[in-house]
Amino acid sequence: MKPLLALAARSAWHRRGTLALVSLSIALATLLLLSLERLRQDVRTSFVQSVSGTDLIVGARASPVQLMLYAVFRIGGATSNLRMDSLRAVASHRAVAWMVPLSLGDSHRGFPVLGTTPEYFERFRYGQGKPLVLAQGQRFAGTLDGLYEAVIGAEVAAGLGYGLGQRIVLSHGSGGLPGAEHADKPFGVVGVLARTGTPVDRTVHVSLQAIEAIHLDWVGGAPMPGLRIAPEQARKFDLEPKQVTAALIGLKSRVAVFAVQRHVNSFEGEPLMAVLPGVALDELWQLVGLGERALLAMSVLVAVVSLAGLVATVLAGLGERRRELAVLRAVGAGPRHVLALLALEGTLVTLLGALLGAAAAALAVVAAAPWVQATLGITLGGGAPTAVQWALWAAVVAAGILASLVPGWRAYRLSLADGLSPRS
Amino acid sequence: MRAWLTALALMAALVLSSALPAAAQTGGVVRPPVVPSTAPSTPPSPAAKPGAPRTITWEDLTPRDWDPMKDLRGLDFGILQDSDPRAQAMLRRLREVWDNAPTNPRMDGQLVRLPGFVVPLEEGKDGLLEFLLVPYFGACIHTPPPPANQIVHVLPRSAAKFRSMETVWVSGTMRTVRTDSLMGVASYRLEATTVEAYTEKPR
Amino acid sequence: MLELRGLRFSWPGAAAPTLAIDELTLAAGRTVFLHGPSGCGKSTLLGLLAGVLLPSSGQVSLLGRSWAGLRASRRDAFRADHVGYIFQQFNLLPYLSVLDNVRLPCRFSRRRAERATARGEEGGAERLLERVGLPASLWARPAAQLSVGQQQRVAAARALIGAPELVIADEPTSALDADRRDAFMDLLLGECAAAGSTLIFVSHDQRLAARFSQQLSLPAINRPAVAAGAA
Repeated sequence: MKPLLALAARSAWHRRGTLALVSLSIALATLLLLSLERLRQDVRTSFVQSVSGTDLIVGARASPVQLMLYAVFRIGGATSNLRMDSLRAVASHRAVAWMVPLSLGDSHRGFPVLGTTPEYFERFRYGQGKPLVLAQGQRFAGTLDGLYEAVIGAEVAAGLGYGLGQRIVLSHGSGGLPGAEHADKPFGVVGVLARTGTPVDRTVHVSLQAIEAIHLDWVGGAPMPGLRIAPEQARKFDLEPKQVTAALIGLKSRVAVFAVQRHVNSFEGEPLMAVLPGVALDELWQLVGLGERALLAMSVLVAVVSLAGLVATVLAGLGERRRELAVLRAVGAGPRHVLALLALEGTLVTLLGALLGAAAAALAVVAAAPWVQATLGITLGGGAPTAVQWALWAAVVAAGILASLVPGWRAYRLSLADGLSPRS
Repeated sequence: MRAWLTALALMAALVLSSALPAAAQTGGVVRPPVVPSTAPSTPPSPAAKPGAPRTITWEDLTPRDWDPMKDLRGLDFGILQDSDPRAQAMLRRLREVWDNAPTNPRMDGQLVRLPGFVVPLEEGKDGLLEFLLVPYFGACIHTPPPPANQIVHVLPRSAAKFRSMETVWVSGTMRTVRTDSLMGVASYRLEATTVEAYTEKPR
Repeated sequence: MLELRGLRFSWPGAAAPTLAIDELTLAAGRTVFLHGPSGCGKSTLLGLLAGVLLPSSGQVSLLGRSWAGLRASRRDAFRADHVGYIFQQFNLLPYLSVLDNVRLPCRFSRRRAERATARGEEGGAERLLERVGLPASLWARPAAQLSVGQQQRVAAARALIGAPELVIADEPTSALDADRRDAFMDLLLGECAAAGSTLIFVSHDQRLAARFSQQLSLPAINRPAVAAGAA
């Protein structure tokens, strides 16, 4: 076996011009398979880590998946808001331990702004019970004195180079237009959160009252012409929020989740919806699952095509190798040695391609991780290859070995028929 | 759709078969093949061998002497129309009763094995860290949820890789937990040693 | 050393047998010049002698072992151990160096590998290459870079490494010019004598016949028509 391996290596190297292309295409297939799998896995883990310890999420009655997406992941927007008094009514259920309202809709230079209560910083958990930690400064006060205070996530601070005391201006909606800014009421950064690897890092947190304040002189998404309320005067108005986007609810006993959910769902004052985060996530994965499977199928197809290229290339070269095979027969190799030789050549090419592809996948993930973190708040690539990645890699190599048996078998037959005197 | 009807049928059977003779006139209620289904009069199966979990059914979680229809006895369902407000009110009262369904004290500390559907609560990188076990499909958003003593809060020893609404066998020590005194009600918690996929044949 | 008895061989699909030889015996150490016109079955006979082809009936024995009596894998091993082969051209694997080409049989036969190192100091290949007159500067080169004459000499060295009992040469000088041919003949016959190997040399060039101890005309010993008639 060992002499055959050395022979196969030399033989493959001799043909490296064409085999290099084949190897490269196998590498590409492996790159696709492995990095897509890593992406899928990491996105899933990231989503799962993003919320913990919250029993129910309440929002206006719409799609549970959509509610999860905008309330937790800040992706997309709410279709309608809910009234604060409805929220207080359902939160008065005796099984409810705490309730944190969330108000979304504004942004700051592409980062979403979250209006909430200071209790958010106590109650919100991520990654299996980890609390939010302030890297610098403190929470916003949530009182009228500290109205225009903001706490920013780690990615906002790092991406925009902000520190404590930074003055920022919030934009209405997703921003973009100069007229959409609440320029007359700037905020001051009083706290910077430690990195969590979740969408929290991309968020600017302010109090609910502050959100009310900056919209006092706005109607229907645009500033009211001729009306300007100065920042200090805003506090004279009633800044208690009337409407919010969603709320997080924690219960005294997790077993009561169905009862409270039903209580919210059947609330008569307003169409509301309560969602179990875990269940909604699973629904999301079902939806996404179709796309994942399509991507996987495509990657497998690429792998099949590249292996077919391997088979075709080696088969095509067999014709002119018949004399070579006769020489091998003459020095004492049998047809099965010839088969082994050809199969080993193909295996070596596959192995090289697979290793290259795996290395490229790892590099690609490392290279893309900062961008993905900044744009989507998802952490990529932390850790060793997953079991599924190993399985995919092994499958590519195994398929390559099997594919190499095809030219191996052909060479076997040729060698048997030709003996020492090939026709070519 | 069929699961929804099945769930309703099971609930109806539970309610009607426990007390009202009038309801029996609706004819032989067919027992739908819901995952852990046995006739309510079956006694709990004996322990297979000492130390091994005892396979139980969801009926075992309800105390024998509990009668949810106690307050509502005497009402004849036959006379009520579908959207009769009395039916709504009765349904609401029934729900309140179910929300306060008591636990079976004899279950506390027992090593048991119970099949059910998974409702995820906390998920980690490797799987579920906490989930609820419920007796029938759809016990989350659309169909009426189970009574309080038919929901088990499961804490698996190691992360369990299951998705929402998958069927599993859960084995471990059942505990009745006194929740906040405001509720005044206890609920079930199971510290699961194993969580495995459900197969038809009970072992 | 080499015995043929009642040999009949037909290619599949052929009407008449290609070869029918009742008896042929070759002693050890002889040099045999096998000749005959093109297409008379010389290469086929060589294939049978080397155990690459099996007779349709009859027996071919080398060193007392019948080729047909061995399993396919044992046949290949036996050939590796006891037979050296030289083709007319394209004898070498182009992607191996000269040295590796000469050592090729040793990869497949431990016996020859041991004998190669036992005869003289370590590296029977180098010694043989010196004997065939190949300059040391070429030894590490890939075989494809050598001229035809040089390649044939390397082929001879490869066939002789480890001193196999039987050396078969299938028209090895047909691609060489006159000067090279004579030099090649000298070295081949000399080396076979030194190793004590039996040499079977196939050619259609009668001028070379005189240098051999025994001359065989294939058409003379091959009686396919008679055999077909008798069958």
